[in-house]
Amino acid sequence: MQLEINNLSKTYTNGVRALQNVSFTINQGMFGLLGPNGAGKSSLMRTIATLQEADSGSIRLTGLPGEGDLDVLTQKDAVRRVLGYLPQEFGVYPRVTAEAMLDHIASLKGIANGSERKAIVQGLLQKVNLYDVRKKNLGTYSGGMKQRFGIAQALIGSPRLIIVDEPTAGLDPAERNRFHNLLAEIGENTIVILSTHIVEDVTNLCSDMAIICLGQVVATGNPADLVKEVSGKIWQKSVEKAEIDTYRQTHRIISTQLKGGKTRLHAYSDMPLAGFDPVSPDLEDVYFTKITERMEVATV
Amino acid sequence: MFLEIFKFELAYRLKRPATYLYALILFLFTFLFVIYGSGPASEKTNINAPYAVSQFLIVMTIFGMLVASAIMGVPVYRDVEHNTKNYFFSFPITEKGYILGRYFGSFVVLLGIMAMGALGIVIGSLLGPVFNLADNAERFGPIRFWDYAQPFLLFVVPNMFLVGSIFFALVAFSRQVFATYAGSILLFIAYLLGSTLSQDLENKQLVNLLDPFGSYAYDTATKYWSPVEQNVLLAPLEGDLLINRIVWLSVALLVFLGTVLQFSFSNFLAVKLGKTRNKKGEAVAEIAPSLASLPTPKPVFSTGVYVRQMLGQAGLEFRSIIRDPYFIAIMLGAVLFLFLDGWFGSQQYGTPSLPTTYAMLEARNGTFFFFVLIVVIFYTGEVVHRDKVVHYDTIADALPVPDWMNYGAKLLSMTYICLVLCALVLVSGVVNQTVKGYFNYEFGLYFRDLLSMAFTQYFQYVMLAFFVHTLVNQKFVGHFATLAVYIVIWAVPQFAEFNYRLALPFSGGGVQISDLNGFGHYLSGVFAFRAYWYAFGGLLLVLALWFWNRGSDTGFKARVQLARQRIGRGSIALFALCLVAFVGMGAFIYTNVSVKNRYLSAEEQREASANFEKTYHKYANVLQPKITSAKLNVDIFPDEFKAVASGKFTIVNKGDQPIDSLHLTIPTDNFHRQLTTFLIDGKAPAKILNDTDQGYYIYRLPRTLNPGDTARMDMTVTGQYAGFANSGNNRDVVGNGTFFNVGIFPAFGYDANQELNSDKYRKKYNLPLKEWDAPAQNDPRGLRDFLFTDDANWVTFEGTISTSPDQTAILPGKLLKTWIANGPDGKPRKYFQYKLPGFSDYFFSMCSARYGVKRDTWTGPNGQTVALEVYHHPTHNRNLDRFMASMKASLSYYAKNYAPYPYPVLRVLEFPRYATFAQSFPTTVPYSEEFGWVGDFHDPNKTDYAYYVTAHEVAHQWWGHQIMPSRTRGANQISETMAEYSALMILKQRYGAGAMPKFLKYSLDGYLRGRANEDKFEANMLDNDTRAYVWYQKGSTLMYALQDYIGEDRVNQAMNDYMKAARFRQRAPFTTSLEWYGFLKAATPDSLRGWLTDNFEKLTLYDNRITKAEAKSIGNGSYSVKLYVKSATEYYDKTGKELAKGKAPVVVDIAVLTDDGKNKDGMTTKVPLYMQKRSLLPGNHVIEVTVKGKPVKAGIDPYNKLIDRVSDDNLVTVDMP
Repeated sequence: MQLEINNLSKTYTNGVRALQNVSFTINQGMFGLLGPNGAGKSSLMRTIATLQEADSGSIRLTGLPGEGDLDVLTQKDAVRRVLGYLPQEFGVYPRVTAEAMLDHIASLKGIANGSERKAIVQGLLQKVNLYDVRKKNLGTYSGGMKQRFGIAQALIGSPRLIIVDEPTAGLDPAERNRFHNLLAEIGENTIVILSTHIVEDVTNLCSDMAIICLGQVVATGNPADLVKEVSGKIWQKSVEKAEIDTYRQTHRIISTQLKGGKTRLHAYSDMPLAGFDPVSPDLEDVYFTKITERMEVATV
Repeated sequence: MFLEIFKFELAYRLKRPATYLYALILFLFTFLFVIYGSGPASEKTNINAPYAVSQFLIVMTIFGMLVASAIMGVPVYRDVEHNTKNYFFSFPITEKGYILGRYFGSFVVLLGIMAMGALGIVIGSLLGPVFNLADNAERFGPIRFWDYAQPFLLFVVPNMFLVGSIFFALVAFSRQVFATYAGSILLFIAYLLGSTLSQDLENKQLVNLLDPFGSYAYDTATKYWSPVEQNVLLAPLEGDLLINRIVWLSVALLVFLGTVLQFSFSNFLAVKLGKTRNKKGEAVAEIAPSLASLPTPKPVFSTGVYVRQMLGQAGLEFRSIIRDPYFIAIMLGAVLFLFLDGWFGSQQYGTPSLPTTYAMLEARNGTFFFFVLIVVIFYTGEVVHRDKVVHYDTIADALPVPDWMNYGAKLLSMTYICLVLCALVLVSGVVNQTVKGYFNYEFGLYFRDLLSMAFTQYFQYVMLAFFVHTLVNQKFVGHFATLAVYIVIWAVPQFAEFNYRLALPFSGGGVQISDLNGFGHYLSGVFAFRAYWYAFGGLLLVLALWFWNRGSDTGFKARVQLARQRIGRGSIALFALCLVAFVGMGAFIYTNVSVKNRYLSAEEQREASANFEKTYHKYANVLQPKITSAKLNVDIFPDEFKAVASGKFTIVNKGDQPIDSLHLTIPTDNFHRQLTTFLIDGKAPAKILNDTDQGYYIYRLPRTLNPGDTARMDMTVTGQYAGFANSGNNRDVVGNGTFFNVGIFPAFGYDANQELNSDKYRKKYNLPLKEWDAPAQNDPRGLRDFLFTDDANWVTFEGTISTSPDQTAILPGKLLKTWIANGPDGKPRKYFQYKLPGFSDYFFSMCSARYGVKRDTWTGPNGQTVALEVYHHPTHNRNLDRFMASMKASLSYYAKNYAPYPYPVLRVLEFPRYATFAQSFPTTVPYSEEFGWVGDFHDPNKTDYAYYVTAHEVAHQWWGHQIMPSRTRGANQISETMAEYSALMILKQRYGAGAMPKFLKYSLDGYLRGRANEDKFEANMLDNDTRAYVWYQKGSTLMYALQDYIGEDRVNQAMNDYMKAARFRQRAPFTTSLEWYGFLKAATPDSLRGWLTDNFEKLTLYDNRITKAEAKSIGNGSYSVKLYVKSATEYYDKTGKELAKGKAPVVVDIAVLTDDGKNKDGMTTKVPLYMQKRSLLPGNHVIEVTVKGKPVKAGIDPYNKLIDRVSDDNLVTVDMP
């Protein structure tokens, strides 16, 4: 099963070019989508989740057992039948309990049998640790509880295509771990797209990834491979704050980070840099390298 | 600090487009009214008279409440909405500075917006004469600053301060903008409560004080102003108006100060907490099952499943609405009004009607309907936008369900809401009936009406709101747009006098339910309109489905893209089906309304009247013969809404010129009258004019009728309703309860009643102004005609009437025989033959219904017997004794005092409530279903109008049927004023003089209001020819006073003499108001002649008042009472301008009363300890009297026998040391 995105473009009515000729392929397993704020991640997610039209290009879901190939942009219903979607921002009917709402969503996902629906809802409530508050109106939920509710609804009906947009926002570390474990439980033959700006999550969870910036894909591949690509090309140096600008003019600084009162610079270079120490890169360095090719990033 | 925030607020407001939008709307509101010449006053008042300006500004403050909620609700809400509150209050600002600055910044803008409304009147007044849209440019008076400033300061500023402070406080403390809606509704409730309570004159003062806008107090202070006064006076700041303003200004101040003092940032910022949470909630759950262990059923996607999902989703939506506290609040308000409107219902003379099921059902058309609109607009918006507003759309829209599932669910949930609204009507109605002890619940009727009429009406508004909200796709803009569409639908017909319902979206009305006739034959028309507008609604709904918002992209391009994907075979078929239905029903309705029937707009009707007058007024004085005998044959076909009437008439030339042609007029209304036979002396006369369009025909008589000549005339007329008309009740022939009269036959000659009356329109169509309708008292042409018809003099009458075998058909006269025979269509019919002995005027009712009948006999002192009959709807049997008793009392009194009753039978009968009146034909009085049959007379303090009105109608058997006035000015007073007098005497005889003041107060109020709303000029008792308030209300007040002043016997003796002189007068000149007045004058002693001339020949008002009364005990239970009174007489000209003050003494009651007593019926009556007439010169007097018993109240003219402009200041409580 594969999700093929080809030359996808979208311009909003206010002129913002959210997606420009985006193309890449997503295989089964966990796929990370990285990008700065406003990169077009959510636009892409929404388009895959059938909530948004594209101006041009195509998205195809191929190899779905029993369905054949699906055109995501036009065969929305078929896509929705295998979709689990956790939007970045969402809400709920405030005067309905979590249990009733999940049950309702389960029925909307085509689970017509009441007892099966009940088993699924109870199980998922336990998985996201909301079982004890299942009888409470959703309007009384805290931000984290609501997020967990969102996760639960996305997993109803064993979806084959799961899209989670910033899923761990608002979760405390314990809940975040719980969520990661939950993701790990999801079956092999499922596509999970994890959109995030937390590089660490991608490192930990994803076998494949893409980085997009300003509506364009700037990198795709296996995280380890991508790290390998920049291996030996990242250099670091601690400097005073006042010196940063000077370095920016002479070097390709990809990130700056405060450490013990000083600023640590990461620079990209094929050659060793005078005064800089080599550093073994991580995915974050890949990310900043790719991003800074396109835009100025001031992290200090 | 205050200044900066104030300036910021002002600048912010002035930058908002909404500010200008509100100002523009208010400006247009008054501007359009003024420039189109519509306004609150009569045609004789300037459009921009200070009275009108004040009314405009007061009404504007009620609408201004909506503006105030938008302006005054948001200044602090803004910080909640944009979440700026969290840091804004960390700035170095004080709470007072913040609150006051925000408040006054917005308040100044609010006043500015309201001032635009006043400006609209000014500009409208300036441009009015230029554009002349009002058709009379001279009705624009001068523009005086104070006319605008005074009501602005007195009403606009305090009212805006009040509502502004309330809205401001509501948001400042609740932090919810919806609270302002709730607030507006509550204030509106207070206002509308007034309109419900104000139906009873006794509640006036309470209403004046309760109304937060001061509107009722202003009405009370100004209601008797004549047009001349309306043009110059401003409301005096005194009495109820003053108290009202002080009370509500204090309330406003209290709310304002309370807000300023109580407001604190910390409360404003406090987090809203739900109920305390279950502590276990956050605990880590036991071992959860693995994801893989959960069942993985194969999802089912089928139409059946989608339908079930839709029901589930609709239930969820429905529960979300009904659990909304604001919805509950609105529903409570709605139920309150439904209940109150049902409780007070329709009243006659302050007497309630029984809580019949139709009355309970009609309560929904009162204030409740506002709530329906509010619910439909706001909650359709809530439902349409709910997913988006709570951000659930991002989840819901990606679920594997078809668009129509969610769309249908939302529509369905509003269906449930409409059903809830209908259920409220049912519940409120049944509770009302039960509490009142009325157990005739007609559940079938409830369900049929609520489901077929109410539900279908409410849901069509849902369709419109759904469409607008979906297309606009922004909640608040959607509310506004929906409201705007409703207003356009409502306002266009108002301003443009446009009522062609085929072009008025979602019009189509309802059916007035009658106990006699049920829904009658009106359903087909209503259903046709419903089907038509539902087809239109279907088109809107399909469009809305195509443009239904799913997904996150709301740009136009994306919606078009989505719509293209959605337009499939199914929805196109549905669209086409609706389109075909819409066009088809449109054609069907057009055929009925404009082809089978005739539709004229208001303008076209006026034009038709003007053309008729221009074409045929030349024939106004053409001499026509008089009918002297009529033998009728009437066949009523209730199921076909058809009647066939044929008559053999004798016509005589009673004039002094030969007659060679007959002029006939046949109304061109939707009863489709056809003259199928017309023979003179057995020969068909030649038709020389055949104007079917205007209904005027001229025939040449086969032989000229010389003065005194007689001819035989045969006519057959068929009248039938065809299909349904645009509007109007088509009530002449109905399934059960047919009532029409001899007017089904063509009338002779030009009918001046068809002429336009209004000066305004007469000018517009270049017709000469019409001062009088009737000719002067010495006009020979007027004197030779009867007042009520110029087609006949006294006639002999007999007739046969037939109807369906299950109905009783009634003509005036004694029933000779009945039989059953087959009719022209071969079906059995029931025939009734009647004959009237002696003579009568040519005025015969033709009625048929399934009647129950109650019979009795009256026997006169001389042994004369009269059969009494009450024909009624079988279930309307509660008040039959009242009708019967009143007939008996009336016959006795009138036969004793006036003249014998000339017929052997007297009957009252009931007809459906499509019209609300009672009318007296010889021997027979048809009486509307609304008028007495369902009256609730159990409270003895409520006027027994069944008794009263019956006495009035029976009196017409003398006044109007035995004394027949001539067609001259003032003649109406002879029949109507005398009938009123007679009924008052019957009422007094029954309930005692002490019970009369309450009743007389309605007459006085009616007269004073009538003259205030006069469109032409006021006429005196001897000349008045068209003004009902003179012949009923003024007449009854004067005649009651006259009998009180000179004695009942003396009045009756005079009227007995008059009867002897004029009863059944056979030859012209027939009697006039002057002859009648001559008898009254002769009976009046010299000492009261001044009063008689002042009141009958002139226009005179009195201003009697008492300022103080003191009593001191003089032992033996006696008291000496000192009264400080003032008396004044004012003469007015016919336009209502004061001419002079009277100088002559006035004879007036001086009275000391003790506590109210009760008469034998339990009715509260006044109990005088002292009541004597004094002759007082104008001016102040101190009068001292001695009474036995405890004086409680004292006064001058305490029963309001004289026409007193201010009737409330005639009695004061006696001060006791």
